[in-house]
Amino acid sequence: MIVESSDQVSGFSWLKRFPIPRNFKMTAESQVEKGLTWPAPEGATLTKAFDVYRYDPDSGDNPRLDRFHVDLNDCGPMVLDALIWIKNKVDSTLTFRRSCREGVCGSCSMNMDGTNWLACTRFISDLDTPATIYPLANMSIIKDLVPDQTHLFAQYATIEPWLRSKTPEPEKERLQSPEERSRIDGYYECILCFCCTSGCPSHWWNGDRFLGPAVLLQAWRWLADSRDEATEERLDNLEDPFRLYRCHTILNCTRTCPKGLNPGKAIAEIKKMIIERES
Amino acid sequence: MSRRSFRSPLGRAIGLGSAKRGSRHWFAERATAVALVPLTVWFLASIVAHAGSDYTVFTAWLRTPFAAGAMVLLLVALFHHAALGLQVVIEDYVHSSARFAALIAIQLCCYGLSVIGIIAVLRVAFRS
Amino acid sequence: MDAKSTPPGTKAPRPRPFSPHIQIYRPQLTSVLSIANRATGVLLSLAAIGLVIWLSAAAAGPEPYAVVQRALVSWTGQVVLFGVTFAFFLHLCGGIRHLVWDTVHGFALRSIYISGWSVVAASAALTVAAWTGGLLVAGWR
Repeated sequence: MIVESSDQVSGFSWLKRFPIPRNFKMTAESQVEKGLTWPAPEGATLTKAFDVYRYDPDSGDNPRLDRFHVDLNDCGPMVLDALIWIKNKVDSTLTFRRSCREGVCGSCSMNMDGTNWLACTRFISDLDTPATIYPLANMSIIKDLVPDQTHLFAQYATIEPWLRSKTPEPEKERLQSPEERSRIDGYYECILCFCCTSGCPSHWWNGDRFLGPAVLLQAWRWLADSRDEATEERLDNLEDPFRLYRCHTILNCTRTCPKGLNPGKAIAEIKKMIIERES
Repeated sequence: MSRRSFRSPLGRAIGLGSAKRGSRHWFAERATAVALVPLTVWFLASIVAHAGSDYTVFTAWLRTPFAAGAMVLLLVALFHHAALGLQVVIEDYVHSSARFAALIAIQLCCYGLSVIGIIAVLRVAFRS
Repeated sequence: MDAKSTPPGTKAPRPRPFSPHIQIYRPQLTSVLSIANRATGVLLSLAAIGLVIWLSAAAAGPEPYAVVQRALVSWTGQVVLFGVTFAFFLHLCGGIRHLVWDTVHGFALRSIYISGWSVVAASAALTVAAWTGGLLVAGWR
């Protein structure tokens, strides 16, 4: 009932999704249809069913939900291991992003059993049976589990995520006390996996103008950095009814961050900083 | 070519640029909320304390300066808070050009209703 | 999020689908309490119209006031008032939770969950207390 850290899987098993039609308000080309059921491997003693979102841009068909039976004795413990097993042993067309397999690169972010997380750090045993694997929510899908993150990175670029200085460059380092350096702890570690932004209902409804928790957390990272000298311009850029103030502290972001970061808190700090400069 | 727009992703993300305002609305919503905490608790407690009482007792209470004053303040803060909150709801969900009409309608209704409520309270308070 | 670009002369490709969001995202205490705060706020805005009607009836005289009171003490009226009371306490407690967040406190996940469940429990308890109090006072009167 009390969640202490974001890696805790939701205990509530009686309400896995809001009680609305499966294809509620989805455009015609986005509606998910029933897909294939791939046969279980022969001789496997311990299998688990996985319902995986598939979309083939070349076929002209709608997205569908395929069911795979994964031999748990033949693959590693993480969901990414299961996906790789499916790609190697059953259907080599299954497409997904992956790289480090240890939760530091942010490539394999996807929606598993209704919540966004990294596939490489989510245990198969933490999922329901059948497990449901969808791509990150509310994203334009290129193929299968691969979303088009162009817009999200464009929003990231609008906050100018680099050090902006006005005083001339020092001879050696730009100095910073340990206390000043600690102000960016909990914000610089973001791996831009976009689990938070994809899980934010405000970004679902207003994602074209609302920057979203990932970008706003990075915006705070630069506001909190004592070496940065463009605080005034950064705050001017953020103070907008949509860019910042579509955040209503829903806090799905903090709940879902695979790195345990707190975008909700970062956004509250930005709002506080804006108010403080007004009085 | 089938693309609807050739604007770059960065251009689309920038949109019309920052409005450079929004903190005033946000702060007013919080200020009215803080005011409403004691006012609504007082109102509810008064209703509970006067449960089952008749018209004469009720209007005698509403006629007292404190009750009349607090009631007027409640109506002002309540409808201002409601107008601000409903504006955000409309902005969230309505994206067609109808949203400007809806926003204006909400503002007019809220402030109109608060004026009617205040006049009603004052009528009771100043009746001999 | 544009459709893929195509060489001239070829058929327009289908636009890319959007992955489901509210259709598949798990309801969590965070999102459920947040939408409850918004829903109760909208409900209370409608109840505020009722408040103005009630005050206008009181200002108009004893007979219009009696009409409104009859509607309020009817079964439907009482059920509606009970619902409005619960909605009010949920919005009040949820609102206080939001005000605390605005001071940048209580953002640890543990605090979010403890404060969230406290809001639900407090709202239920306060609703029951208010109604018990009201019925006792009305009965004694």
